[in-house]
Amino acid sequence: MDNQKFIPLKIMNERERKEILDKLNEQFGINEIPGKIVARGKDRLFLSSVGLSDTELKNIEDSIVIERVGVYFAKVDDLTGKIRLSIEGSQIFKNQIKKNIFEIQNNEDFEKWMKGQELNISTGKKDFLIMKYKDNFVGTGKASAEKISNFIPKNRRLKERG
Amino acid sequence: MNFESKPLFVERMKKLLENEEDAKEYFEILSKPELKSFRVNTLKTTPEKLKEMLEKKNWKIKQPIKNHPEIMVVDSKLFPGELGRSLEHILGYYYVQEITSMLPILALNPKPEENILDLAASPGSKTTQIAALMKNAGTLIANDVKLQRIKILASNLERCGVTNEVITKSDGAALCRKLKMKNFLFDKILVDAPCSGEGTFRSMPKTFPAWNIKKIYSLSRIQKNLLENAIEVLKPNGEIVYSTCTHAPEENEEIINYVLEKFKNIRVEKITLPVKCRSGITKWNDEIFSDELKNTCRIYPQDNNTEGFFIAKLKKIK
Repeated sequence: MDNQKFIPLKIMNERERKEILDKLNEQFGINEIPGKIVARGKDRLFLSSVGLSDTELKNIEDSIVIERVGVYFAKVDDLTGKIRLSIEGSQIFKNQIKKNIFEIQNNEDFEKWMKGQELNISTGKKDFLIMKYKDNFVGTGKASAEKISNFIPKNRRLKERG
Repeated sequence: MNFESKPLFVERMKKLLENEEDAKEYFEILSKPELKSFRVNTLKTTPEKLKEMLEKKNWKIKQPIKNHPEIMVVDSKLFPGELGRSLEHILGYYYVQEITSMLPILALNPKPEENILDLAASPGSKTTQIAALMKNAGTLIANDVKLQRIKILASNLERCGVTNEVITKSDGAALCRKLKMKNFLFDKILVDAPCSGEGTFRSMPKTFPAWNIKKIYSLSRIQKNLLENAIEVLKPNGEIVYSTCTHAPEENEEIINYVLEKFKNIRVEKITLPVKCRSGITKWNDEIFSDELKNTCRIYPQDNNTEGFFIAKLKKIK
């Protein structure tokens, strides 16, 4: 949600949607997107199951400020053009994700991850990985030679008791 | 709380309550700590799974409401703020919510595929509850007037994985007028109106010193405006739940009575809730309200060891 200036809703058309699905398929093995994709700005993607048609939504937007439609589920990476799933994105697609999953091995590392810290682990990959601990899907990390970088936003991080 | 500092409040509450014993119980419970209640977010997990997760942390979990396993209470000592800081909370598996705050949505009874409007939605406790009962299917328009409040709303809807919402920023009454011009009507509407918050003094005693009767009169005007505009965008046979977290009749029965007089096609429906409710009143000071007000529901803290609330369910007949 941007308060600096109003950015109109952009509901992705079939071609744009297919581009996103192809990337999700290539990166994580995802075959289906359960809803419409709404873009805000150039890289933030929202998944919407709203029951209104695109025309009805646009009709409302003509006279009413729409701040958000659906849930923020993914970001298109500026540098690589690849997709990074948010916590909710990884949870929504959890039953479809077949590859590039990193299973966190212990509770200590899981807490580190949820505190927003990077994990000093070599995965042998240089790519975006879906982070998982037991049944919990917790967003995407970026694996490099010796670590996995963390993208958990500040407001979703586990805080020290204090 | 220093009740003597607000003698008018004490006088009004004594007048509302049944007798001296009832009033004594009311004032006594306000100084007792509230229950640590929360609602399982069934969009992300199940009551069984979450209970198991939390019990592994040595939290003692109770499910105090029959037929509502999603309503839970922690019956063990927690660190201050721990309920809202846990990993399970961060991951959106539950929403910290007072039990009475869950009741308006049980009265509204949202269903998948409906068109629902939540007119004053922030911070999102009831909006996320509506979305869960809609199973993320259908349309949920969640409105609030201030950007700061919308940010909180958006953050909570995101954490809970709500996908069927449209968040709008507008004055509630103005939103209804604009939607009506577009002939956009709803199956169900929640008007959880801004109120003087008398029902929340137990959990937020710091708000008590700000209580004053002028504020109640001013809020009453806002509430009438919100509800009458909401009725205009309700489909025939559609239902509105009007709720407040206050006991003041000027913000409750008086509002419902006002719309009953203004709209001849509105009826007050009987509500069945899984807690002890008292009937709405039909007389306050010099005002006599419709007998239909008996179908509304007053919830006092001493009746269920909760906060206080008022709930009315209205139906637009054809």
